[in-house]
Amino acid sequence: MLSTTTSPETGRAPRSPDKRRRGIPLAHLDLHHVSLLAVLGVLALIGGLTQPSQFLSTDNLQLILTQASVIGVVTVGVTFVIIGGGIDLSVGAIVALASVWCTTVATQEFGLAGMLLCSLLVGLACGLVNGVLIAYGPMVPFIATLAMLASARGLALQISDGKTQVVTVQPVLDLGLPDAYVLGIPPLVLVFAVVAVLGWLVLNRTTFGRRTVAVGGNPEASRLAGIAVKRQRLLLYLVSGLCCGIAAFMLVVLTGSGQNTNGDLYELDAIAAAIIGGTLLSGGRGTITGSVLGVLVFTTITNLFALNNLQTDVQQIAKGAIIVAAVLVQKGRNSA
Amino acid sequence: MAPLLTMTGITKSFPGVRALDGVDLAVEAGEVHCLLGQNGAGKSTLIKVLAGAHQPDEGRIEWREEPVRLSNPVAAMRLGISTIYQELDLVEHLSVAENIFLGHEIARHGLVRPQEARHRSTELLGRLGHPEIDPEVLVGRLSAAHQQVVSMARALSHDVRLLVMDEPSAALDPDEVDNLFRIVADLTSREVAVVYISHRLEEIRRIGDRVSVLKDGRVAAGGLAARTTDTKQVVALMTGREIERPFPPRRHEEPAPTTPAPGSGPAPPPTPVLRTEGLARQGEFSPLDLTLHAGEVVGLAGLVGSGRSEILETVYGARRPTAGRVLVDGRPLRPGSVPAAVRAGIGLAPEERKAQALLMLESVTRNVSVSTLARFATGGWLDRTRERQAAHAGTRDLSLSPDDPDRPVRTLSGGNQQKVVLARWLLRECRVLLLDEPTRGVDVGARAELYALVRRLAEEGVAVLLVSSEVPEVLGLADRVLVLREGQVVHTAPAQELDEHRVLDLVMEGSASC
Amino acid sequence: MRQPRQTTGTSLSPRSSRRNLLFGTAAAGALLATGCTSNENNNAEGDKQAADVADDKPGKEVTIGFAGPQADHGWLNAINQQGKSRAEEYEDVTLVSTEGSNDTAQQIGQIDTLINKKVDVLVILPADGKALTGAGLKAMRSGIPVVNLDRVFNSPQAYRCWIGGDNYGMGLNAGNFIGERLKDTKNAKVVELAGPDNLPLTRERTQGFDDALKNYPNVKKVARQAAEFTVESGQQKMSALLQAESRFDALWNHDDDQGVGAERAIKQAGRDEFLMVGGAGSKRAMQSIQADDTVLKATVLYPPTMAASAIDLARALGQGKGVSGLAELEIPASITLFSAVVTKKNVEDYLPLGFT
Repeated sequence: MLSTTTSPETGRAPRSPDKRRRGIPLAHLDLHHVSLLAVLGVLALIGGLTQPSQFLSTDNLQLILTQASVIGVVTVGVTFVIIGGGIDLSVGAIVALASVWCTTVATQEFGLAGMLLCSLLVGLACGLVNGVLIAYGPMVPFIATLAMLASARGLALQISDGKTQVVTVQPVLDLGLPDAYVLGIPPLVLVFAVVAVLGWLVLNRTTFGRRTVAVGGNPEASRLAGIAVKRQRLLLYLVSGLCCGIAAFMLVVLTGSGQNTNGDLYELDAIAAAIIGGTLLSGGRGTITGSVLGVLVFTTITNLFALNNLQTDVQQIAKGAIIVAAVLVQKGRNSA
Repeated sequence: MAPLLTMTGITKSFPGVRALDGVDLAVEAGEVHCLLGQNGAGKSTLIKVLAGAHQPDEGRIEWREEPVRLSNPVAAMRLGISTIYQELDLVEHLSVAENIFLGHEIARHGLVRPQEARHRSTELLGRLGHPEIDPEVLVGRLSAAHQQVVSMARALSHDVRLLVMDEPSAALDPDEVDNLFRIVADLTSREVAVVYISHRLEEIRRIGDRVSVLKDGRVAAGGLAARTTDTKQVVALMTGREIERPFPPRRHEEPAPTTPAPGSGPAPPPTPVLRTEGLARQGEFSPLDLTLHAGEVVGLAGLVGSGRSEILETVYGARRPTAGRVLVDGRPLRPGSVPAAVRAGIGLAPEERKAQALLMLESVTRNVSVSTLARFATGGWLDRTRERQAAHAGTRDLSLSPDDPDRPVRTLSGGNQQKVVLARWLLRECRVLLLDEPTRGVDVGARAELYALVRRLAEEGVAVLLVSSEVPEVLGLADRVLVLREGQVVHTAPAQELDEHRVLDLVMEGSASC
Repeated sequence: MRQPRQTTGTSLSPRSSRRNLLFGTAAAGALLATGCTSNENNNAEGDKQAADVADDKPGKEVTIGFAGPQADHGWLNAINQQGKSRAEEYEDVTLVSTEGSNDTAQQIGQIDTLINKKVDVLVILPADGKALTGAGLKAMRSGIPVVNLDRVFNSPQAYRCWIGGDNYGMGLNAGNFIGERLKDTKNAKVVELAGPDNLPLTRERTQGFDDALKNYPNVKKVARQAAEFTVESGQQKMSALLQAESRFDALWNHDDDQGVGAERAIKQAGRDEFLMVGGAGSKRAMQSIQADDTVLKATVLYPPTMAASAIDLARALGQGKGVSGLAELEIPASITLFSAVVTKKNVEDYLPLGFT
């Protein structure tokens, strides 16, 4: 109604603000991502200098991306939850439960499709429980997902009886072998790429993504703007659960087995990757690109250290140092 | 007798507002010095300066005739100045005793001594006439009145020489008010000075010794005799602002129909858009029957805590009513559902803009479009160009400055932030607009624009329900005014039939002094 | 062609091992490759002259408290199973198990509970031997004999009897086996996929392995990564090792469970130029050795049957008896099990002991 009214300024060509739109936020985001890319560059340089033949090879690139793919998919889901103002500590446990459930003897009888479906459903179901408890129940995300962590791990242990469930379904096993590579890209990496791109599109180009950012940034304002905040929260945990289901199946393909120890500490790795990728732990801001770069940084470090035969202790110290450094860089940038 | 405290020429500015403009105040030991003034007159800023929470830009403060600097709250406390704020600053999850001695715990060799803290708490609470409060109990479990007593006990646990109380009686029932006055009398008999802020003239008459009236950051009158000064005189001092409020000219008295009827025929009667039937929330406001017509501005006048914001939020579905219902175009809304209200065409510009309305990290565009996202989406997929153009058109129309749809809203001034909130509802083409303190934190220039905007909206057929603590604003904008006192509508009248004095009388004394 | 050193697996003959202990009849199955895989009456051969030797016949009722870590992987799971099923075989034994826990404080609490319940004997597999020494001492002081299983307490006063595997020996046997196999290879390269570095047992295994390799100057360990006893970490660390070393001759993997992941990584990398030796002795690994269709050629035992033996020891302690096969009236203070090397040749004997 009012929008049709002309004002003295309508005559101005809308081009210049347009340009600025493309300029400012992108430059803003780029600056952050560039710093992570720089870290990756430095790591690649170190790798190239210390292990020239091993590090800078197609094999190793495939290896790094494959190792990043499982935790990467989980991180995309976790990024959504954190941007939406929540936290999900149960992702590792859900991955374990889904991987165990889809590799029981009974499930394996249904073949690849049955196992995949089982894994996805278990992930979604866990996400649903988390979401209902948090959005419609009395629980805060930290506690609800902590409870899910405990019970999903427990259930995984009970189902598997602590045993390693080896996959015998050949098509599933084949998916993890070099013959299944598409143009030199492992299927797991493709899945990761698809999930990341979808995640980016959903976050940046859909009403769902916009509402996620709003709910995480200011839940009260979102509620008073007419957003169904509770439903949004529920959906966010479903997204995270679904990502866990996908990741669990990927892990089964990767390791050819299901085990209740799967996904150990994924929650911390995923949160750490999202944070160094620029996602605010308090919600309301974050990017999928940042999270993906965060995962790649961590995976590359692990790879680099293993290639140089450095032991676990050094790897862990370096990981901690990088988290601190990344957060310091962010702080410095924000206050600047 | 030399005054205990003398403040001279205190000036304090905030961006866009000069909150205190050369205030003088002298308080003597053993007196109850009342501060009066409308919202925005500068009372809160003044007591914050006194408590060391704000630093004045200019002026001097003397304590027992020595110049002092109250550079932080601890410095003020050291001198013996304690403040009880209206919003109690107690820690709910700590016990009464822990709250009383918070920040100055009774300890020896770094170990707190809960026994003694309990003992002394009991003593203080007894002195305050509330020996029944258990020092062990968590503060969160106490009633508002008891929490206030704890707050007072905390103030007294310091060696207090000057006690500042900001509307201490607001949350109390008459018995408790009596007790409060007894405590105040007890304090003054020990030569403690009390600075007492209240809107209730009757209270001031009962316990006050002297009254100072603040208006627009200046002292309109200092040190009047509290018991003998005429009410009319006090009200006159509080009103009659010097700052011209640029209200646009009012339309005709009658709420007009939205649009002229097409074709021939007489103009139709005013269209009722929103109606409440016995709408109530227990403990907040009594059953309310209200009809809003298209193109009408209805004002709610009342003190803080009179239920104004609660009514707005209940109409909006943000609070679930305990009785009654809200109808839009004759159809009842689902109770307690904001999305239902928004779908029906209601919009709210809430009181706390930053906390309740804005996504501070996000751009203007995203703040404007947040309630209208579905319109720019096909199957959840956003057309961002269309979204941005629509939002930009809206903000340009409100002459948002700077006119940049990509600017984060946190970088905008208060007035422009409010425009963003209004643009949101204009984009949604809402038909009922609920405005809660629309000009709080907005400078004078932007106020004029907002006033003009509200008028224009009404002319275009939007029904507006306006809440404001500033009586002139309600009178200047509204067609019809409802005066609220303690959750109840005590008076309804066309704005032209009311004046500031009358409204202030109504909200402060509760009874029409006509 | 093989020159068995004293520790190589194949040197385990029925005769030599019979010099080990027989706990009643039952322990035979636990420790010996040959014979008694069933738990029935085999005690006809037992020395009956030492009157107070525990046997299958129901004796004094004994309540045994069992506290172990969380059974979150195959080997520990097998430990629990072995202990439980062995206890069920005895009419006179009541087993009180606590919920497994990896948390030291929690396990101390669980042991306290068992002490308060006044069980007759305690079998403790501590999550962390050093940290739980106090709990063992407390039990012993309150008159409850403790059988310390595998992860050893700091003080001998904290247990009446220790029984457990030989981590150093495990590494030693694996190293010697690999050394013998690569004896004729020039500049042989060896890679180690270890268990979690925060466990002392991992370091002992690595030490044994390194010490054994010192006997073979032509063999050199070129890389080592630590996994977490899980399939996932096994896959991850192994793929990195494979990437780091484009060619090597032998691999020792500390744990057959993480070996599932390691073998997966090997398959994914399409490598088969080396020989792989496993650890602990899972059924799957043994089947694979038997089928001889992968790089896995051997595994070094770390037998979970020790839990069954621990129950036998506990029962004997509770009934105040000794064990058959020894002259002593009392059970020994410490029993170290032998880490046999299972190869295609002897795998049939060991297959029933493999854990799942």
